[in-house]
Amino acid sequence: MTNMNNIRNFCIIAHVDHGKSTLADRLLEYTNTIDSRKMRQQFLDTMDIERERGITIKLVPVRMQYRANDGKEYILNLIDTPGHVDFSYEVSRSLAACEGALLVIDAAQGVEAQTLANAYLAVDQGLEIIPVINKIDLPGARPDEVLRQIEEVIGLDSSQAILVSAKEGIGIPEALEAIVKRVPPPTGNEDAKLQALIFDSIYDNYRGVISYVRVVNGCIKKGQSIFFMATRKEYEVEEVGFFTPFMSPAEELKAGEVGYVIANVKTIWEARVGDTITDANSPADKPLPGYKHIKPVVFCGLYPLDRDDFPRLREAIEKLQLNDSALAFEPETSEALGFGFRCGFLGLLHMDITIERLKREFEIDLVATAPTVAYEILLKDGEVIEARKPSDFPDPVKIEEIREPFIRLTIFLPSDYVGKAMKLCQDRHGEFVSLDYITPERVKLIYDLPLAEFIVDFHDRLKSLTRGYASIDYEQVGYRKSDLVKVDILIHGEPVDAFSFICHKDDAYKRALGVIKKLKELIPRQLFEVAIQASIGSRVIARENVKPLRKNVLAKCYGGDITRKRKLLEKQKEGKEKMKMIGRVQIPQEAFLAFLQANEEE
Amino acid sequence: MRKNRSDRVNLLNESFVLALSSPLSLYVHIPFCVRKCPYCAFYSVVSKASEIDNYMNCLDEELKLWAALAGGKIKVQTLYIGGGTPTLLNHWQWEMLISSLERYVDFLPFLEASVEANPGSLTADHIKLWRSWRITRVSLGVQSLDDGELQLLKRPHSAHDAADAIAALVASGLDVSVDLIFGLPGQTIQSWHRTLKDCLNFGIRHLSIYELTLEEGTPWGECPPSGLTEGYPLYRFAQWYLPKKGFIQYEIASFSLPRHWCRHNIAYWQGENFLGVGPGAWGYLDGFRYGNTREINDYFDQITSENLPVAYQEILPQDKQAIEAVILALRTRWGVTATTFKRKYGWKAYRKFLDTWEKLPSDCRAACRGRHAFTPKGFRIANALWENFL
Repeated sequence: MTNMNNIRNFCIIAHVDHGKSTLADRLLEYTNTIDSRKMRQQFLDTMDIERERGITIKLVPVRMQYRANDGKEYILNLIDTPGHVDFSYEVSRSLAACEGALLVIDAAQGVEAQTLANAYLAVDQGLEIIPVINKIDLPGARPDEVLRQIEEVIGLDSSQAILVSAKEGIGIPEALEAIVKRVPPPTGNEDAKLQALIFDSIYDNYRGVISYVRVVNGCIKKGQSIFFMATRKEYEVEEVGFFTPFMSPAEELKAGEVGYVIANVKTIWEARVGDTITDANSPADKPLPGYKHIKPVVFCGLYPLDRDDFPRLREAIEKLQLNDSALAFEPETSEALGFGFRCGFLGLLHMDITIERLKREFEIDLVATAPTVAYEILLKDGEVIEARKPSDFPDPVKIEEIREPFIRLTIFLPSDYVGKAMKLCQDRHGEFVSLDYITPERVKLIYDLPLAEFIVDFHDRLKSLTRGYASIDYEQVGYRKSDLVKVDILIHGEPVDAFSFICHKDDAYKRALGVIKKLKELIPRQLFEVAIQASIGSRVIARENVKPLRKNVLAKCYGGDITRKRKLLEKQKEGKEKMKMIGRVQIPQEAFLAFLQANEEE
Repeated sequence: MRKNRSDRVNLLNESFVLALSSPLSLYVHIPFCVRKCPYCAFYSVVSKASEIDNYMNCLDEELKLWAALAGGKIKVQTLYIGGGTPTLLNHWQWEMLISSLERYVDFLPFLEASVEANPGSLTADHIKLWRSWRITRVSLGVQSLDDGELQLLKRPHSAHDAADAIAALVASGLDVSVDLIFGLPGQTIQSWHRTLKDCLNFGIRHLSIYELTLEEGTPWGECPPSGLTEGYPLYRFAQWYLPKKGFIQYEIASFSLPRHWCRHNIAYWQGENFLGVGPGAWGYLDGFRYGNTREINDYFDQITSENLPVAYQEILPQDKQAIEAVILALRTRWGVTATTFKRKYGWKAYRKFLDTWEKLPSDCRAACRGRHAFTPKGFRIANALWENFL
């Protein structure tokens, strides 16, 4: 059996596209963990979407056996981490399961925003960090410059950085040796009371919930009664084992080891990321630190395009939720879209991926409304309420203050684009924090920005302003008081919930104008003149009119052919039936859709 | 929906045939033209003289089949001979048609007999013949008195031909109606005004104005001409101008001096029974509607095998009849008459009508002495209003 001294638990952290998955594949290949003939490229990314987007969402921990140059046999547990800030909590839990990290940096691109964020997270967890400069085979590779950045920007010793080309297989043995030599072995106590960290859970149709764990102290074996310290529930262990990378059952998991636990857990919410498993009969005094109950921060409505698909959509979201405890949802109805769900996500990427999976894996055509955030509203009577959509907002006279979630946004970009990026941040009501020149050509810019301003299209804008040279990272920094207003849209005097929006007071007029102009184009002429108004409370801030209808076809009665006229009228009516009556005004579905989906401002 | 001939309503076994024992209206279709106008969706073919002779025989046969169903002569109050181009028939062909009609039709109580004429093919002989028979009214397909517009419409006549034809018809003492089209490419209020004014100056008593409609299956429906003008202002101008000249708008597209209405068309709008003969003609008998085959060779074949050439038929349930009655009646200035409507379709249907009616904008509707009718504004946007009744 293995000795704890022969175990190395490590992860790979990197900015998107810096080659994390390719490096992981090479490690698996080199250690013969998987047959290179069976090797699918980027083995760890199990979902199609992950492979397409080059990002990892689900973590698959793999156990590798490696005979090092010192002649000893080592167990290397690679714990893959999600590569996106949306999942920073999961990342932090994965890091907590390791003792070391390979920090991968692209030799051509150098240090990017997430490189820094991930490195800091790893430092925070006290991990040994091994810098790996990847893609040294690229013509644009500047390893010397990158080494300098590791020293100057991140503040790590670069003298022992490893130069790698994962694609060409260069530097892989060196990386493995460095893991063995530099990553410390785990330091748990096998005889102490059981403490095992859940760093991920998945739901399997046949086996129920499978939790990925790192045993910190004690050991866990089949038949044992265990207790989940956050959820305060007890289970009996059915099976424990390792990932090789396929699940292979084992007798027990001991302190320092990484593997899986199946314990008849019914739902994924019972096996939360960050929870501590202990022995039910002799429990540990306290749980492992760092557990957080994660809350969704970005919300959007999901509606089936075909209203009959509603039950299928519910089923699909429920199934996704089995594997994604961060996904929240509740039923919602919309005037335009019928029945659907308001879903909460950890961030934009989490949202995009969920929508994509619903479309792809469950083949549901759906409409996603523009993302929103949750606001905190302090009422005059002292009560604080949460508002996830404009209709949750109370009467303005009752509101003392409105708070919105802010993020601290770090942007790495060439200095040429600094002016443009700062202008964008200012326009989005960002608060300047700092600006540092990493090199004369490269700048680190930090702003605090309302999350609501970020989620709409900030990243796309920034990318186009900087021709794709900017990289970003962000963390949530809590709620702050903001000068926000709710703008209502009235059509022929009737407020239409679906068109209301929340925005910064200074933008209210401009955005209101944009919205009513768009509606004017989309709402067909009616039998009477229709006023479209935007108002804040009872104050009208903008107005447009839709002129009354004056189109008529006076055709001949065609020799008594009444069926012709009837067909024309029926066709005409059919078009109208797809419209929604708001008071006396007919509004086509497209108007709602155009409004709900993308809020492109002119 | 086109039904197989086998599951057709067998008229002999049905109660609809009873409708034939009461006076009704008769439409006779003459499906021939010298050429097809690019906007027209009526059924017509460019013909050879021998084909027309054959056709006159077939019409005779079709009338005979209906007369047989009626168990004697068909009682007709209003007759309308339309097309196509009825003036493409020569003297002898007209004689044939007249003798067929006399053979199978009993004009009693006789109200009106209209014929459609085309300025390009109307002759003094036609007028003389019609005068000597029962024709009371001629509807002349002038379309425009502007040569540019006529060329654009590819009409086989000039403004001058049209003027001569109107003058001759008015002089003959027949009731003359003129058909005009508005919404033409390049048409202005001024050119429209000139056309209207010139027509009235000839002493006509009836005017039908139609907005140019791009119908599916016509050359312009497939490939619309450029520069189409919006018809709405032209229509509104006519609604203002014609009443000043003593013309009453008694229907969406029809203006006339008092009591010179077209009785045949009013029969359609009041949901009365009518028969249609000839290819593409329609008929309606107490809730039973049929449409003849539009294909002339199919028509010939059917008639030769002594079948009615019906290709479409439907039996309208009471509620559908009521809706149709509303829409048709609202075409006219008399609108829906409460008492008649209640008697025919019941109190519930009337209530339903009123519910919708009262939701229409108030400047589009008027009620007076138990009648509900559109105002001039209502006529202008009638399509949008009708839709509410479906």
